[in-house]
Amino acid sequence: MSQNQWLATGNFFTSYKEEQHTFFTHLDRTIFTLFLVLLFAWPLVFEVGNKYMFVVNNVLIAIVAVMGLNLVTGFAGLISIGHAAFVGIGAYTVASFCRTLGTAHVLVTHFWPLVIILAGLVGAGFGALVGLPAFRLKHLYLAIATLSFQMIFQWVINFMTFFNQGQTISIGRVFWFTGKVGRRDHYFFWYYVILVVVVLMGFGIRNLLKTKYGRALVAVRDNDRAADAMGMHPGLTKVYAFALAGFFAGVAGALHAYVYRGVGFESFTLHESIGYLAMAIVGGLGTLNGSFWGPVAIKFLDLQVEQLSESAAQYLPAGMNLATALKPFTFGLVIVLFLMFEPRGIANWWRIVKSYTKLWPFRY
Amino acid sequence: MKKTTRVLTAALIMFFAFAATATAGQVYKLGFSGAITGPTSDAGNPLSKGIEDWFKYVNDNKLLGDDKIECTIRDDQYKTDVTKRNFEEYLDDGIVFYLNYSTGSTLGLKMDFEEEQMPTVPSSYHEGNLVDSTYIFIPVATYSENMVALAEYVVKNHKGGKPKVALFIHPSAFGRGPVEDTKKAVAAGLNMDIVEVVEHGKDLDNSAMLKRLMSKGVQYVICHTVQSPVATMIKDAMRLNVTAKSFGEPGKLTFLGAHYTGGADLIALAGDAAENYYWTCSYNLTTEDNEKSQKQLKLAKTYGRDDKAANSHNYAAGILQAQIPTQAIIMAKAAGLEVNPANLYKMLNQMNGAKVFNSFAAVGPVSYSANDHVGVDVVNIYKVDKGVFKAISSIESEYMKKLRAK
Repeated sequence: MSQNQWLATGNFFTSYKEEQHTFFTHLDRTIFTLFLVLLFAWPLVFEVGNKYMFVVNNVLIAIVAVMGLNLVTGFAGLISIGHAAFVGIGAYTVASFCRTLGTAHVLVTHFWPLVIILAGLVGAGFGALVGLPAFRLKHLYLAIATLSFQMIFQWVINFMTFFNQGQTISIGRVFWFTGKVGRRDHYFFWYYVILVVVVLMGFGIRNLLKTKYGRALVAVRDNDRAADAMGMHPGLTKVYAFALAGFFAGVAGALHAYVYRGVGFESFTLHESIGYLAMAIVGGLGTLNGSFWGPVAIKFLDLQVEQLSESAAQYLPAGMNLATALKPFTFGLVIVLFLMFEPRGIANWWRIVKSYTKLWPFRY
Repeated sequence: MKKTTRVLTAALIMFFAFAATATAGQVYKLGFSGAITGPTSDAGNPLSKGIEDWFKYVNDNKLLGDDKIECTIRDDQYKTDVTKRNFEEYLDDGIVFYLNYSTGSTLGLKMDFEEEQMPTVPSSYHEGNLVDSTYIFIPVATYSENMVALAEYVVKNHKGGKPKVALFIHPSAFGRGPVEDTKKAVAAGLNMDIVEVVEHGKDLDNSAMLKRLMSKGVQYVICHTVQSPVATMIKDAMRLNVTAKSFGEPGKLTFLGAHYTGGADLIALAGDAAENYYWTCSYNLTTEDNEKSQKQLKLAKTYGRDDKAANSHNYAAGILQAQIPTQAIIMAKAAGLEVNPANLYKMLNQMNGAKVFNSFAAVGPVSYSANDHVGVDVVNIYKVDKGVFKAISSIESEYMKKLRAK
C-alpha cells in the first residue's frame, strides 16, 4: 500500500487488526465526519417546515428498525415477517406506561431516554421468545413462526381494552434541559434525538460485527453446521439474533410513539412488516449502509408516487382510481426489479462507486 | 406636458393597483385530508367531491362577498401518518379551519387539534372523538346515537314482550364503541335483551350464524359496520327465508343498520334482499323528492358530477362538512371579527338558538354550544321500499342524552 493515502488504489491489509478498523483511510473518516456535521447542522441553517421534519424523522425511525431487521435477516440469515410487531412492542411499551401511570407521569415525560431503552429491552425479550423456534425451525417454517407472532400481536392489540382495542393511545410531551418540548420544536427536537440513536446504533452494529458475536451471526447464516463444528451454538446465536433485532425494533417503536405522540394499531400491521423487508432488500441485505439506503429510497419513492398519483388524478377520470393501484404496483415493481437486477441492493451501487473512486484512473 | 401626463398616468395606475389590492378580498385557507382512494374510499371519494363542490359554489356565488375560501384537498389513503403529514403542511400554510376524515386519524390527531387550538370537523362520528376534546365538532349524530336510536325504535315498535336483539358489528373500535353505549342504554332502562354481539369476519356465508340467532329467539339484528357484510348477511337471510316481511314479524329476522350500513350502495350490493331493511342516517336522501334534495342534485349537476356521486349520502356528508366552516366564517364576518381559528371556534360554540344552521344536506339543524359538539341531533329512519330508501320516521335518541348527562 502506498504510504501516501491519496495515491492508494486499494486497501492492502497486512494484519487482522488493520482489517478491524472502523475507517480504513483518513479520507473515509474525514468524509464521514463531515457528513455527520452536515446532518447535525442543516436544520440549524435551513428553516424547515414541520411537515418535512416529520418525514425526515419517519425515515430515521425506519432506519433504526431496518438496522435490526438487517441483523436478523441480512447478517444471521433468518427471515422475519413480523418485524412491525416488534416495533409495535416497543411503541406499546411506552403506551402501557401512559395507560397505567398517565401521560404526564415523570417517567414518560422526564425519563424518556430510560423508557426508550426499556422499550428496546422489552422488544429484545419478545425477540428472544419468538426466536426460540429457531432452535428447531429453518427457512419457510421460521418465516411462518414470525408471521404467527405478527398475527398474535395484532389480535392482542385489537381485542384488549388495555390497548384501547387498537385505537390511538396518547403519549405525553417530554421535557428537556430547556423545559417542555413544545409543539413548534417537537419534530426538530426528535430529529436530533433519533439522529443520535441512529449514529450510536450504527456504530454499535459496526463494532459488533468486528467481534466474535457478530461474526457468529454471519457464520451461522453462511453454514450453521460449519459454525457448530467451529464451536458456535447455532441455536443460541439465532435466538440472540432475534433478541438483537427485537431491541432495535423496540427502540424504533418507542421513538415512533414519542414522535407521533400516540400509538395506534395501524402502524404495526403485516403491511408494515413487508415494508421493512422491502426496505432491507432494496437497501441491501447483510450490509450496514443498506439499512440507511433502503428506508430513504422507499420513503422517498412513496412520496413521489403519492405526488404522481395526485397530479394524474386531475387528468384521469375518477373511476380509474389510479392512486389506489399505483402505490402497491410501484412498491411491488421496485422489489421485483431489485431482486432481478440488483439483489445486493443500493449498498452495492455505493460499493461500486467507492471502488471506482479508489481505482480511478486505473481500471484494474 | 408630455412628462406630466406620463407621471400622472403612472400615479393613477399605482393608485388603482393599490385600491384593487385593498378591495380584492381575503383568502381563507382550509385543509381537508381524507381517503379519496384506498380503503373506505367508497365513502371518502364522494365525500371529498361534496367538500370541493361546496367551496366552489361559495366562491362562484360570492357567498363571502369578495373573500374566498381556498381549501386544499389531499388524499391520505386512510393512513394516519399521511394525515398527520398533511395536517402539518396545512398548519405551515396558515389554515384557519381543518376538515379531517377517519376515526383513527381523528383520534390520533386529537391532541394536535387541542394544542394548535384548531377547530376541526371530522367525517368520523365516533363518540370517542368528544372525549378530552374541545376543538372537534362532529357534524351529525354519532354512531352511538344512530345505534341507540335504532334500539329505541325497536323497543317502541315491538309488539309482545321484551324484544330480543343481536348486534352485528365491525371487528374494530369503530364497531365496538356503539355496542358499549347500547349496553349502557339497556342498563339505564331501555327494555330489550341483547342476546348476542357478533363481530363479523370476511365470511361469504352467514347461514350458521343466522340459524343460531333464530334458535336463540332473536327477532332483530342491529348492524353497525359497512355495507358489504350487511349485504352478504341479508342475502343469506333471504335465501334461508328468515327475513321478516314486516317490522317485527314473529319467527323471522328484522334487519336494521346504522349510518355506514345503508345507502344506495347497499341496495346495489344486496338487490331484492335489501327490501324492508331499516336504516338510520342524519342526511337527507335524494330519493326523497323535496327541496333539499333538489338543491343537492343541482349542486352536483353544476359541477359535472355523475349520478352515483350526486345521489350519494356521502356526497351530502361532504357538503355539510364544508358548510359548517363556511357558516362559521359568515358569522365571524357578520360580527366584525377577524377570520382566524380562535374566532371561528368562538362562532361554532355560538351556533345555537337563533343562530342554528339549517343545511339542505341534513335532516335537522346544526347546533353547537360549549357543552355540545354534536351538530345534527336528529336521525331519520329509512326503510327500503321497492328498491328505494324511504323516510318513515325521525328520532332523537333519548338514552344517549341521558348517558351523556351522567
